[in-house]
Amino acid sequence: MAATEQSQPRRTVARTTCYMCACRCGIKVHLEDGRLRYIEGNRDHPINRGVLCGKGSAGIMTAISPARLSTPLKRTGARGSGAFEAISWAQAMRIATERLAAIRASDPGRLALFTGRDQSQSLTGHFARMFGTINYAAHGGFCSVNMAAAGLYSVGGAFWEFGEPDWEHARLFLLFGVAEDHDSNPIKLGLARLKQRGAKILSINPVRTGYSAIADEFLAITPGTDGLLVFALIHCLLEAGRIDAEFLIRYTNAHHLVIDAPGEAGHGLIARDAAGRQLCFDRASGSLLEAQASGTDPALLGTFELADGRRARPAFALLAERYADPQYAPEAVAGRCGIEAAAIRRIAAEIAEVAFNQPVVLEQPWTDAAGRRHAVMSGRPVAIHAMRGVSAHSNGFHTCRAIHVLQMLLGAIDTPGSWRYKSPYPKPIPGGPAPGRPRAPGGPLDAPPLGFPRGPEDLLVDEAGEALRLDRAFSWEAPLAIHGLMHMAIARAYEAGPEGIDTLFLFMSNMAWNSAMNPGETTRMLSECDEQGNYRIPFVIVADAFSSETVAYADLVLPDTTYLERYDCISLLDRPIGSAHGPADAIRIPVLRPDRDVRPFQDVLIDLAGRLGLPDFADEQGRPLYSSYAEYMVRHQRRPGIGPLAGFRGEDGRAIGKGAPNPRQLERYVENGSFWRHELPHEQLYFKHANRAYLAGAKAMGLIEDDAQIVLQLYCETLQRFRLAAEGHGAPRPPPRLRERITRFFDPLPIWYVPLEEAMTDREAYPLHAITQRPMAMYHSWGSHNAWLRQILPENRLYLHRDLAARLGIGDEDWVWVRSRSASLRCRARTMTGVNRDTVWTWNAIGKRAGAWALSHDAPEFRRGFLLNHVISEYLPKEGGAAPQSNSDPVTGQAAWFDLTVCLEPCAPGTPDETSPRWGTNPLRVRQAAENDR
Amino acid sequence: MSTLPERPPGAKRLGLVIDLDTCVGCHACAVNCKEWNTGGEAGILPDYDKYGPEPDGVWFNRIHSYETEEGGCSRTVNFPRSCLHCEDPLCVTVCPTGASYKRAEDGIVLVDTDKCIGCQLCSWACPYGARELDEKAGVMRKCTLCVDRIYDESVPQEERVPACVATCPSRARHFGDLADPESEVSKLVRERGGADLLPGLGYRPTNKYLPPRRARIPTAPAKPPAPGAKGIGAALLGLLDKALSR
Amino acid sequence: MKPAASVLLLTTSTGFGFGLLAWLGAYAALGLLPRAPVLVAAGIVIALIFTSTGLIASMFHLERKERAWRAFTQWRSSWLSREGVAAVLTYPVAIAFGVAFWRGGPPLATRLLGAATLLASLGTVYCTAMIYASLKPIRQWHNAHTAPDYLLYAVFSGAVLFATLRTAALGEPGAMASAAAAAAAAAALLAKRAYWRHIDAQAPLATLAAAIGLPQGIEARPLDAPHFSENYILRQMGFAVARRHAAKLRSLALLIGFALPLALSVLGALAPAPMLATTLALACAALGLALERWLFFAEATHVSALYYGRRI
Repeated sequence: MAATEQSQPRRTVARTTCYMCACRCGIKVHLEDGRLRYIEGNRDHPINRGVLCGKGSAGIMTAISPARLSTPLKRTGARGSGAFEAISWAQAMRIATERLAAIRASDPGRLALFTGRDQSQSLTGHFARMFGTINYAAHGGFCSVNMAAAGLYSVGGAFWEFGEPDWEHARLFLLFGVAEDHDSNPIKLGLARLKQRGAKILSINPVRTGYSAIADEFLAITPGTDGLLVFALIHCLLEAGRIDAEFLIRYTNAHHLVIDAPGEAGHGLIARDAAGRQLCFDRASGSLLEAQASGTDPALLGTFELADGRRARPAFALLAERYADPQYAPEAVAGRCGIEAAAIRRIAAEIAEVAFNQPVVLEQPWTDAAGRRHAVMSGRPVAIHAMRGVSAHSNGFHTCRAIHVLQMLLGAIDTPGSWRYKSPYPKPIPGGPAPGRPRAPGGPLDAPPLGFPRGPEDLLVDEAGEALRLDRAFSWEAPLAIHGLMHMAIARAYEAGPEGIDTLFLFMSNMAWNSAMNPGETTRMLSECDEQGNYRIPFVIVADAFSSETVAYADLVLPDTTYLERYDCISLLDRPIGSAHGPADAIRIPVLRPDRDVRPFQDVLIDLAGRLGLPDFADEQGRPLYSSYAEYMVRHQRRPGIGPLAGFRGEDGRAIGKGAPNPRQLERYVENGSFWRHELPHEQLYFKHANRAYLAGAKAMGLIEDDAQIVLQLYCETLQRFRLAAEGHGAPRPPPRLRERITRFFDPLPIWYVPLEEAMTDREAYPLHAITQRPMAMYHSWGSHNAWLRQILPENRLYLHRDLAARLGIGDEDWVWVRSRSASLRCRARTMTGVNRDTVWTWNAIGKRAGAWALSHDAPEFRRGFLLNHVISEYLPKEGGAAPQSNSDPVTGQAAWFDLTVCLEPCAPGTPDETSPRWGTNPLRVRQAAENDR
Repeated sequence: MSTLPERPPGAKRLGLVIDLDTCVGCHACAVNCKEWNTGGEAGILPDYDKYGPEPDGVWFNRIHSYETEEGGCSRTVNFPRSCLHCEDPLCVTVCPTGASYKRAEDGIVLVDTDKCIGCQLCSWACPYGARELDEKAGVMRKCTLCVDRIYDESVPQEERVPACVATCPSRARHFGDLADPESEVSKLVRERGGADLLPGLGYRPTNKYLPPRRARIPTAPAKPPAPGAKGIGAALLGLLDKALSR
Repeated sequence: MKPAASVLLLTTSTGFGFGLLAWLGAYAALGLLPRAPVLVAAGIVIALIFTSTGLIASMFHLERKERAWRAFTQWRSSWLSREGVAAVLTYPVAIAFGVAFWRGGPPLATRLLGAATLLASLGTVYCTAMIYASLKPIRQWHNAHTAPDYLLYAVFSGAVLFATLRTAALGEPGAMASAAAAAAAAAALLAKRAYWRHIDAQAPLATLAAAIGLPQGIEARPLDAPHFSENYILRQMGFAVARRHAAKLRSLALLIGFALPLALSVLGALAPAPMLATTLALACAALGLALERWLFFAEATHVSALYYGRRI
């Protein structure tokens, strides 16, 4: 070997948490003489058990990326020009503090704080709450809020990261719309385990990449029709009488009686007794009884008379009637879904076979919420996972709810072999307090800015019913927008003008580029001035570690560290790393010392909060409470005994979940590999929503505040409350222009409709669906400045089915025009067979804006890489004279990225071999300030 | 020496078994390999034009994606490609300097980069494209099976496997002694029909690839719906007619 | 395969040099050399200039020239090593033969040295040929044509060179040398055509499915390559020349490399300006063989390019 013997370098290994994507794997970072040598998975870590993906393995190159920002910057040229002046942190903090203090003194809502995939939302959200602005959101609104909201309002958990299949017992696994996303390494490990066990994996996705490539069966579904497919499966199961009635009456509200009084204020609500308890009809006694009482024989079908004479029907009866309708027969939906009716029937039969003929029975006694002891845990080994393919459509909320309904009908929620909750889920439904609002002018909000409306009374609307929030979350335009509408932030700030928003504060979010629908228009909004040269969005602060496209549009740049240079907290208050086996959380620790004048953003935010004297960040004399994030992580208490980290609490470090702050907590985490995990006893591993021991334990740990059974919401009464308001009952009521919309989309049982944009587009002119997939070796825009990852994907192609390509006369590597109703783009095509025949797709976030990310001016990312975003509009087409609606799910405000339809044409000979549109700025030009007052 | 060694009786044949049935094509193995080896005994795996128009570099392992057709049925096969540590490695015997060699004790094929003259004949001799020229150092580079890791006693026993195997998130890579019929890898090859790549060329590769397979759930043929059936079916009514107990 | 200038020069130039040595040695062994020590001495010097040019050119193919000496060590297994050893051994033999001839040494010894020079020269050419012929992943090389063809091209180029030298030294090529050059040209032409017919009729060495370990009956198509930029393997093994383009070049090579030298060799024996004819024949042979050699590389396909969906 080539190695020459030299003096042995000093080798050390630090255990911390990866951040090359949002997966939060445990890593072992090997250092030689303090320099990065090697990063590998931590075998002891519950998330990745030693494995590490390509992104995580490339962390070394991100740590030395030339795109790292190196000093605070103040803009000197026009926005977007890239001209900046280097300033000191003292100057930077002074500018930010003065600006924010002035806003807070007048109208705190004029600060809009939007953050990306930053995993510190419990901190950033708390900052916004204490600052007193409702204009706060993180990236969930354009990622997966449909999954989160549908799940949290239906089953008290969600797909996304809040649940996982029972990899050890599932026999059939259905994967809806999952590309290489959440949870990347756990899913890969799980798929391998299923394969090893011989379970069947069925992927339902327009595109066959990654996980779908190894599926035992792949159904190339037409985008946006998953809900119909699920209804057809439900239809077949109902037809065959293959449902788990026992599960329904014990764990869901299927037997709850729904008032049938059309036109009246109570119509569609659950019938309740005088004490407010839901009612059912007990067949044994022939009377109305408390629905949650045990020992009854509740009716699931029929019509019953309530004490007040109104009629009521079990929720299940409404459901059965709806989905038994021939319009949901496989034969009726096959054409639309692009899947043969026979295949749908066969899959329904396979589901029924596995669920009902091959139940998994674990010899594990447990006690249910009613106090009954069960000798075994018996479950239906049909597991389902769904993600962005379902989420990113404007019918995604209902589609996701449809999937949860299917799970409930099968008895496949948190039972052996099925989909399981990850701790700290399940949570009571809905999952938390209503969205916060200012208690007093200029004061903090009474709850976190992102919350869970239980009815119209929780909306953030003015007297006319119009939105109070900048992004119109929690308004009648998006009532259950529990993650906000980040994709609308810049457009709405532009609309609002300087009176509405003064400062747009962005953290770790590339909102001027790949996180924007229509980046060209977005950057125009950011750069537009009035005649006096004042920007319409007056001040933009960007905090980021790298020179993204957005940095060029900032007035003030706060340079962050890389993930190897700071503390972070993966908290139970935020997006924890728990699993079905128990709660867990983790930290990141600084492994490298920054070689630049940068500071961890969390430290900066806490510093800023201290300087502003925000409650919870400063004492009553206005003195800062915390000197760093590390200190905040240990000492901050959200509620008594509950802090950012749940492990090693209490004076002695032995309390779990709840306990006094432990000054040695971080040391204990470091000793433990930078994570903490609590293994649930076997008795608590399933039926968590109704498992007495689990619920009591979760309450003791502070995971939930109420240990009552969590009744799964087959029928979502909350939705009906909004609908009743639209029908003129109660207050507040939607403005007239939105009433029809609310009535239509707030159906308490899942519905399917053609995605909004698609329905408003001329499908003859734009016959093809266009979607993106996330590549496994690249996390959004995070990898393009990584010297290894960009060798894998420095540019992207538009993939289309070979038959479609032949029809259009398009060959591999040909340049084509992609046209949507709003714009056109030019890119290169590649043909394949593993794709729905009417769908084209590409990898997400590969195209870059020239000048960004410290790449050379002729980098392929600029010349041939492209964003599909360019042909997506953040607004739906105008209807009549009304202002256009946002391109979002009408229930949750989820960005409807995948509703796009396009047409394709080959480029004429002689067209330049370059993507279009192409914009470029100069690379960042930083002038060193003559005087540095640092 | 470029002549092949006498393999002592009982000598190991260390190699990889790669499961095409579970490989999702994520490039984890390729990147982790690059990361381990670029700072290890194999020397730096160079990158060229890191932030420029033609980013390129030396990789021991590269991941291809293919689409296959069989009887009208199409699927995607991800395929990691690296040195197969052949029993008859022409890359070794063509080497004029003895820089390329095959170890007698475990069959690993290595390059002694202190001896390599960069004539590149070995890369011409390899049908698998497993050898790449380090254009900066002027020597050939190739997979070492992480020889500086699998024998390193300072590494915990269970981690003494090649970096690509340790990191593979879908557990598609297995490492072991293919000379031992009772090893886990040999069993996998037997049970799953592990195949040689290009067996006709006669290199007798050590690494084996497990072909994709397809799990099925047998069900009775789906019944066509009864003609004129509408609303809630008799089967469901029958089911719900039975007494339930909450 | 990428036609690198260094390798083209190596194989063609050593072909001329060792070919000339072979002819000198053969004539001497058979006692057919004219008693013209200048011709032999100059011939050997010029031959060694050709071989040395080729061997030095081959050094440019090496990334670490300072370690080139190591290439002589593996003659037991490596044809490249054997080529080096054989080439180096040929020098003293050829020089001894030249000295013996110049000095008018004992006829038997001179004849034996001539025979030794013949064998060493052709042996070296054979080793060069076997470098290519032994590469199993390249069907256009790994066949029964490569070694005899290389020998034939060396014999042909040596014959043309000898005829030129003889004309320069003695004013005319002589019937035997002209006949030899013409015959060798004809044979080389036929051999080249046979070679092209052979490789055109060959089936690809493997299918993509076999290359990725899938059973027969499955058809595989590339979807995505590992990386976007051309990498080393593609630069080296992925080189391809368009069929139409290659066909034109083939005709040109046949014409310039073989047909013209054939005609010019005949002409050299008959026409009034033998120096012009033989020199032209030599120039054509050099150009044509370079073109032929370029095609030998450019048309060769490597199995590993299959992985990238290239035609092999």
